[in-house]
Amino acid sequence: MTRPPASTGREAPAPAPLTNDPILRSTSRAVFALVLLFAFLLLWRGHNAPGGGFIAGLMTACALVLHRIAYGFSALRLDPARLIPWGLALSFVTGLVPYLLGRPYLKSDYGYITTAVTGEFEWATALLFDVGVFLLVVGASLTIAYALTEVAPQETVEGDE
Amino acid sequence: MTVAVFFPFLMAALAAWLGPRLGRRTGYVAAAAFLPALLLIPDLLRMPGAAPALEVTRWVPTLDLDLAFRGDGFSLLFAVLIGVIGTLASLYSVAYLSERERFGRFYSYLLLFGGSMLGLVLTDNLVALFGFWEMTSVTSFLLIGLWHTRSAARDGAVKAFLVSALGGLALLAAVALIALGGGSTSLSALDVGALRESAYFTPALLLTLLAAFTKSAQLPFHLWLPTAMEAPTPVSAFLHSATMVKAGVVLVAKFGLLFGGAALWSAIIVPVGLATLVWGSWLALRQTDLKALLAYSTVSQLGLLMSLYGLADAEGRFSATAHLLNHAAFKAALFFVVGIIDHETGTRELPLLGGLRRALPVTFAVALLAALSMAGLPPLGGFISKELFFEAMLHQGPLFIAVAVVGSALTFAYSLRLLRVFLGTPRAPAGAEPHEAPPGLTLPAAGLALTALAFGVLPGTAEALTRTAQSALNFADYDGYLSLWHGVTPALLATLLTWALGAVLVWQARGMETLGRRLTPRVNANTVYYGLTQTVNVFSSWLIARTQGLPLPDQLRIMLAAAALMGGYAVWRAPQVFYPFGELPLGVLPIAALLVAGAVGVLLSRGRLTAVIVTGLTGFGSAAAFLAFRAPDLALTQLLVEAVTVILFLLAFRYLPGVRDLPRTRWRYVFDVAVAGLAGVGITLLVLSSVRFLAPPISPYYLEYSYKGGGGKNVVNVLLVDFRGFDTLGEITVVGMVALAVLSLVRLGKPGRPRRAPDDTAELPARRRP
Repeated sequence: MTRPPASTGREAPAPAPLTNDPILRSTSRAVFALVLLFAFLLLWRGHNAPGGGFIAGLMTACALVLHRIAYGFSALRLDPARLIPWGLALSFVTGLVPYLLGRPYLKSDYGYITTAVTGEFEWATALLFDVGVFLLVVGASLTIAYALTEVAPQETVEGDE
Repeated sequence: MTVAVFFPFLMAALAAWLGPRLGRRTGYVAAAAFLPALLLIPDLLRMPGAAPALEVTRWVPTLDLDLAFRGDGFSLLFAVLIGVIGTLASLYSVAYLSERERFGRFYSYLLLFGGSMLGLVLTDNLVALFGFWEMTSVTSFLLIGLWHTRSAARDGAVKAFLVSALGGLALLAAVALIALGGGSTSLSALDVGALRESAYFTPALLLTLLAAFTKSAQLPFHLWLPTAMEAPTPVSAFLHSATMVKAGVVLVAKFGLLFGGAALWSAIIVPVGLATLVWGSWLALRQTDLKALLAYSTVSQLGLLMSLYGLADAEGRFSATAHLLNHAAFKAALFFVVGIIDHETGTRELPLLGGLRRALPVTFAVALLAALSMAGLPPLGGFISKELFFEAMLHQGPLFIAVAVVGSALTFAYSLRLLRVFLGTPRAPAGAEPHEAPPGLTLPAAGLALTALAFGVLPGTAEALTRTAQSALNFADYDGYLSLWHGVTPALLATLLTWALGAVLVWQARGMETLGRRLTPRVNANTVYYGLTQTVNVFSSWLIARTQGLPLPDQLRIMLAAAALMGGYAVWRAPQVFYPFGELPLGVLPIAALLVAGAVGVLLSRGRLTAVIVTGLTGFGSAAAFLAFRAPDLALTQLLVEAVTVILFLLAFRYLPGVRDLPRTRWRYVFDVAVAGLAGVGITLLVLSSVRFLAPPISPYYLEYSYKGGGGKNVVNVLLVDFRGFDTLGEITVVGMVALAVLSLVRLGKPGRPRRAPDDTAELPARRRP
């Protein structure tokens, strides 16, 4: 099970799904969408209610792992390890902007916009930072999960009691 | 100046991105990155009179840590030097590198390196100085190891890094001591008098010297520089002529203003520098690889510069600065020439080459000018600065001038030896048809060679440049001047003696070779280095075998026993463990029962899968506990972490030998239960005893300010992304690194993926087990 070189930027399709359970397959599609939706909700409202980038990232990872288990290929069309540097860079740069404007590093800013559709609506730069956290957490947990699903099955553990 | 330092860093990111897209043309982008450094030229030209500019960017003001850049004459001179050679090296590599090179990686490393070096020479803050110093070590490691599939490149990179990192640690300590003694981290605001009085003075001096010697490859740390030639040739030119290896010289020149008054300073540097001059040039004379010859010649020239700056008087600083300019010009030109020879003939071995002057006339002219400047012949710049060197050494005493003459005679000899590839009957390896290199290769070299010529024919140019550093290096009142002819002086006589000796060395080349072979010491810096690294390897594998060799269950038992002991210790030290902390919230009792049930369930479960799932129970129980204490954020996080952990566990366990009974003897089972139980009790006691140290809670502050300051009603989130955002950034970095570590661990275990490069069979020398 060798991966194609990372430069292609696509996740290698695994040879076979981990399971052929038809019930899992038919329900996972709906569940996948629901979980993703909920994850984005968590990310969006994190500033004012329970939620945030970390949790949303974990939830997204759960959804993607479920998809991977049910269908055998990743719903994410790129190597999840590539999300790690992007997430880190986004969070870092978000923090850098206030610093360059002469305020403390990572100081967040917020304000209110009123539009006809949404009514009064708060924006916060912290959300950008959270998106960075989100990307990194998705990348990291998926990297670990995919690495573990690709372990060659002939490996056994010795010395285990 | 701030722009000049940071622009290359920005462009490095751009070059990394452009590299795969533009290919070799990325070199033009890289050359543009040094533009802000070149824009410092007008500042430099105003220099002998103008006051140095100071640009301060606040960084961590509470720690007296700023990004301060100070454009005094010497710093600007060096920055412009880096800019010029950096530009030329970038342009040269466009024509030099092969089509298969990974351009993005090469140019971004080159620019990171150039930026760190610019920062190093321009910075006025001691802590930032250390930072840039270490960055040059790291980036040069990357550059030397660029062709990392070759074991020689890896070895050279590791060697350079280990040696210069040793010096880096010394510099860190020195910087701390100087800041303590001088009362400031700003180089220009240091109280030199207080520093001289303080007890930190001598240790700081010695540590600074260690740093400078390791970086500038002085004896006995010269071993890393010749192996650093594994880097691509344009990099070598940059590294040797303008940057990395001169960092130590820069340090000695700048810190000479602090330490120069001490007798110890000159008493150590000058002998070490002169010894390096002689030994380096002696080794250079014996090399057959052209690039190795140049590398050892750099070692010797650095010795010369060190000894002059180490004198810490006006004469030494003036002469050293003049020679610094000459050296940059001729050494970069010579590296470019060797690159051309390598490019055209496919080899750098001296015995295989000859008579190249017919095929490469322009290159020959360039090499002639540069090599004769290095040899110290008129009318080239090298001659003038060599006269100044002799002049300075004459003032020190007969022994000094004698050593200087011997070293220079050897320099003369190896410079002429270098030219042998152009003379005699044409000779080149079979298949190679050398012809004149493309202008992309010859033009940078020719420009530098002409500069070397100009420094000699028009001494005023070199003198004006040298004078710019006068106020920064404190030789304003020095009345020396640069001139080709200054009468029949003792220095001129010394030069004539040098030529005579050098001519004898060239004439008796064969005899010198036998002598050299006989004089080779069995133990040299390299054998010591390999001996040391080998010993460390053997020791660490011994240590790992002794400490990490236990089966996993035994390691766990030890950890749990330690936890139990810590709890016992806490109770013993603080018997009043049961500090009154108010009424127990009865609502959490069921949750506690759930947690305990989970823990006991793990013990009772007879299969792996059940054990994992029951372990999950304790995790979900903790989430419930968080909910009971009204922390929905934590509970949510805990729930998700638990879910993901259980999934990961199950994924990892798929391939273990199925669900089966865990074979255990009854005795061992009882023992494990006892250890685990004790550890649980111990940790509980530890937590309870720590309750005594509760400080007043900090939550009211965050409750009050999270909405006012951060604009969020979710205190936890505001805390994470704003108040303690920096912590979060550190944490997610750790998360990312853990993921990459797991990835590499899992991938390394895969069959069919070689863990070492195929050419690893060519092992390092001295790979023997004691």
